[in-house]
Formats: sequence, C-alpha cells, structure tokens
Amino acid sequence: MSDVLFSTHAVTKRYGGLTAVSKVSLELHPGELVGLIGPNGAGKTTLFNLITGADTVSEGTVTFRGEDVTELKDYERAGLGMARTFQNIRLWPDMSALDNVQTVYQGPRGNNGFGAILRLPGFKRSERRIRDDSMKLLERMDLAEHADMRSVDLPYGEQRKLEICRALALEPKLLLLDEPAAGMNPTEKTDLMHTVEQLRQEFDLTILVIEHDMKFVMGICERIYVLDHGEEIAHGKPDEIKQDPKVIEAYLGGAE
Amino acid sequence: MTLASFLPLAIELGPQGFWWMNVLFLVAIYSLLGLSLNLINGYARMFSLGHHGFWAMGAYGAAWFTIQFHGHMPGVPLFLMSCVFAMGVAAVGGLLIGLPCLRLRGDYLAIATLGFGEIVRIAIQNSPREALGGSLGLEVPRVIMDVTRKTKADFRVLMVAIGFVLVALTAWAIRNYIRSARGRAMLAVAQDETAAGLLGINPVRSKVLAFVAASAVAGLAGAVYAHYQGIITPLEFNFMEMVKIFLIVVLGGLGSISGCVFAAFLLIFVEQWLAKLPADAGFFKDWWQVEYAAILVLLMIFRPRGIFGPREITDVWRDLKAKWAKKRSAA
Ligand SMILES: Nc1ncnc2c1ncn2[C@@H]1O[C@H](COP(=O)(O)OP(=O)(O)OP(=O)(O)O)[C@@H](O)[C@H]1O
Ligand SMILES: [Mg+2]
Repeated sequence: MSDVLFSTHAVTKRYGGLTAVSKVSLELHPGELVGLIGPNGAGKTTLFNLITGADTVSEGTVTFRGEDVTELKDYERAGLGMARTFQNIRLWPDMSALDNVQTVYQGPRGNNGFGAILRLPGFKRSERRIRDDSMKLLERMDLAEHADMRSVDLPYGEQRKLEICRALALEPKLLLLDEPAAGMNPTEKTDLMHTVEQLRQEFDLTILVIEHDMKFVMGICERIYVLDHGEEIAHGKPDEIKQDPKVIEAYLGGAE
Repeated sequence: MTLASFLPLAIELGPQGFWWMNVLFLVAIYSLLGLSLNLINGYARMFSLGHHGFWAMGAYGAAWFTIQFHGHMPGVPLFLMSCVFAMGVAAVGGLLIGLPCLRLRGDYLAIATLGFGEIVRIAIQNSPREALGGSLGLEVPRVIMDVTRKTKADFRVLMVAIGFVLVALTAWAIRNYIRSARGRAMLAVAQDETAAGLLGINPVRSKVLAFVAASAVAGLAGAVYAHYQGIITPLEFNFMEMVKIFLIVVLGGLGSISGCVFAAFLLIFVEQWLAKLPADAGFFKDWWQVEYAAILVLLMIFRPRGIFGPREITDVWRDLKAKWAKKRSAA
C-alpha cells in the first residue's frame, strides 16, 4: 500500500463517565476521499475534534504527514496542512465573506504589523496577492457576488460553502468536512457532492467527510468508516458497508 | 524673527484661550487612551480594566527618564527619547501582564487587569521619595520649554499640536493595522477564537500583540501628559480614570475611531466645564462621578454598541445625507 498521509491509533476520548470515542484507528492515503458515518451521538464530531486539536485525546495518538501531532496545538496542526469545517457553522460573523477567506491566508504568507502600519510596498504586494487568491477561491465556489456581504447575512447553504472556501485558503493537504450538506435542499446537496469530488482533484486534497445523507456518502466516498457509541463497527467500500449487518443494526437500532 | 512666529503656534492666549487649550490637550490625551483601549476592548473584544496602569507607567517612565538625563541632553531629543522610553516601559508591562492573563477567559482578564492597575498606583504611592516621588509626586523638568523659548510658541498650544498629531498618527496606525493580515487575525480571534485556532491563527499571540501595542500607546499618552503637567502624582491615575477611558470607548462605539475622539471631547469638555463652576453649583457638579456610572448604565441599556456603533462619523454623515436627499426628493 502507498504511504499514509494521516492516521489515528486507538484514540479515545472520555467526558467524565461517558466514552465519546473509544479506541478508533483510521488511516487515510494521499488523494483518498473517505466517509465517516454513524448515528447521532456516535462520536464523529468528537473524533474530528481530536484529529484537529480542538480537544485533547484521553488516549491514543494522531499522526499527520509522518509526524506525531498528538501534542500539537490546533493552529500548529492547521499549519501543517489540516483544515476543517464545522457542523454548527463557525464563520467569523461580522466579517465579509471575502475577509473570512483572506484571514486564513495570513498564515502561510503573513505580512507583519510594521509593514501594515507603514503600508510598505512588500505589504501591499502581499495583500494584493491574498486578495486575488481569495477572490479566485470565492469564484470557484460561486460566492464571488457575495464577497462584500457580511458572512452572517449569507443564505445558509452559501455559508456552508464559504466554510469550505475558508478551509481551502489554508492550502491544506487534509480537508475534514463535518456535515457539509446539512440543511441544504436536494439540488444543493447534489451540486455540493460533485463540487467536493472536483475539489479533491483541483487542490490535490485528501478528504474525510462526515455526512448523514447516504446518497452523498455512497456517491463519492471510496471507503467508509462507521462509528457507533464511539466505536468503529465497520470499515470498507460503500457496497460492503451497505450490506454490513452491524451497520444496519446500528442505524435501525438508533431509529427504534 | 523665528520660523515659528509664522506658525499659528505663537498666538497669545487670554484666560479663555488657556482654558480651551487645557481642554483640547486633555481631549488629545484621553483620545489616545480611548483609541488604545478600543484596540483591546473594541476590536479584540477582550475586557481590560487596567489601562490607567499603563498610562501611569508611561507617565512615570517618561518623568524618570527625563530627570535622569536632564542637563546631559538638549530638550527636544530628551523629550522624544523619554516618550520612546515610556512606550517601552508600558509595552513591557503589557507583555508581562498579558502573557499569563490573556490565556484566561474574559472576566478573569478583567479582574487581573483591574488588580494590575491598582498595584501600579499603590506601588508608586509607596515608592521611596528619591526614586518615584512616593505619594507626593514627581516633578518633571520642563524640557519642552527649550523649544518654546526659542520659537516663542505658546507652551500649551505646542502641546495641543503634539497631542493631536499623535492622535492622528495613532488613528492612522490602528486603521492600517486592522486592514492587514495581522488585524484580520485579531478580529477573527475576537469573533470566534476556536475557529481561528483551527484555521491556523495563534490566538494568544494575536491577543498579546494587540494588548502590548495598546499598552505602548497608553504609555505614550502618559509621557506627553507628564511633560505637560510638569508634576505628576500617583492619585491622578486612579480607577476613576479607568472608568472615564472605558466610558469614552463605549460612548464612541466599540471599534469606532472617530467616535472615540468625539466621545473624548464630549466627556472632557463637560467635565472641565463643571470644574469651572463655583463650588456650590449643586447637583451636577457634586454628583458627576455618579453621573459617569449612570451614563454607562443608560448606554448599556439603550445603545449597547455606542452612539455610532462600530461605524465611523463619516459613515453616519453619509447615511444622514442619503436620508435627507431621499426626504427632499420625496417632498
Ligand atoms: N464537550 C463535551 N462534553 C461532554 N460530552 C460531550 C462533549 N462533546 C460531545 N459529547 C458527547 O459525546 C457524544 C458524541 O458526540 P458527537 O458530537 O461527537 O456525536 P456525532 O457523531 O457528531 O453526532 P451528530 O451526528 O449528532 O453530530 C455525545 O453523547 C455527546 O453528548
Ligand atoms: Mg457531529
């Protein structure tokens, strides 16, 4: 098998007596598009938090680009090329759509405070590049017309797209999408599904996506991990997952 | 014939002019304090209650420096260097208090900075007489007089001019900073720190930068203030001053530069006007400190985002003009 871009080794997260994630091990190879599914409360978002450093693990390790990142802060992991979106949209509300994207570009090609205050030529050049690149991303996601709108004022579906746009501004290797299609209508969902697939090619991404919409997940993911009660209960190709009795049980059991 | 006699700096002031120059100078100082606190409490949405401490550090830093080097250096460079020194002292103070405290949640930061401001004042009050003057205060050599003697410029007019040049520079610097990568990072941390961290921004660094920069400006205000007053005492830098600065920021609108200067003018003018009234002028004079608090409470209830909100006066003016134009065309 080819090299591993990212993996978790038996990560566990306990909140008091509740084990939200229990000994989960994932492995993603460069260029893969992998799904993470499971009933509500299965621990999917918690796992994302452990991967990105939004929360600390109770046990286990997280490896990214050959480096153990378990002890790294969230912004340090992001700096290595790990970007995410949020299940509950977390755009910077009072900033314009454009500024939401521009803000993230600051890491990789930051310009310093003195240059900014004195408006030095180097600063201006850097700002122009950030602006141009951000506009390109907005155009790519069909958001250019909303560039100057405050992000909270955008329609819901556009906010979700803007979150992806903002994550792309980090120029990530690994993109983690937490229910990117939640709250979208069926047409928007289908559009987004194709967009995600295309983005992987265009930006050379490896993608891990949480999504409840089965058509979405089965439609574009090459592999799927299934969580239930914090544990990985199945893992495999979409067709295998569809027929896995444990998965069917988990979903039907949850519906009772 | 000197160059400055051509400048409006050399005007003759009557008592009325004196009073006005004093008001304007204080407006400049409080604008500097307001603008810098606005960076922390407005743009960065932290909650500091220790700004008077940095102001005091700057004032005493400049005074101490001037006393040390008075006579060894001509007036102008000494004045300038004492200002730089004061900024440095306040910035170091900001760094020392900021590094541990900015990891804390909002209300803890407020308590920690409040304690800091009081500690600075009490430490100065109890300092040995020969070091920082203790509670009796410190006399600052009038180095700026070197300039006024040569140029015949009026001392107060010159200080007002210096004050407002600094206000303009500070406003310009803050505006430029906000509209840059570092500034956007600061706003992002203010609006959603978790998202900022996960998208590659180091929140603590961003906050510490804003805090240190704001402290340095407060220090600068302190330095100019010390040179203007000629004598400074620790009691001037009490918590009531913090309330005043905070009121200016809230009145002007968190995150509005012109609103801040406008609010400083309003507050200082009223305060100085009341001070001029005879001692038995009654309610308004006696209860002024209570009125500060009352204004603050009323503002929080009716205009929690300040008079103009986060907008600039120019925005308000443009909106008003648009409204009038619409009315006229409708009529
Ligand atoms: N910060 C926290 N403190 C305590 N419990 C938590 C915390 N975060 C998550 N949990 C609990 O952990 C479990 C897993 O939650 P998580 O949000 O990861 O589920 P999920 O799979 O993302 O569900 P959904 O599909 O509804 O988004 C839940 O029982 C939740 O209540
Ligand atoms: Mg979730």
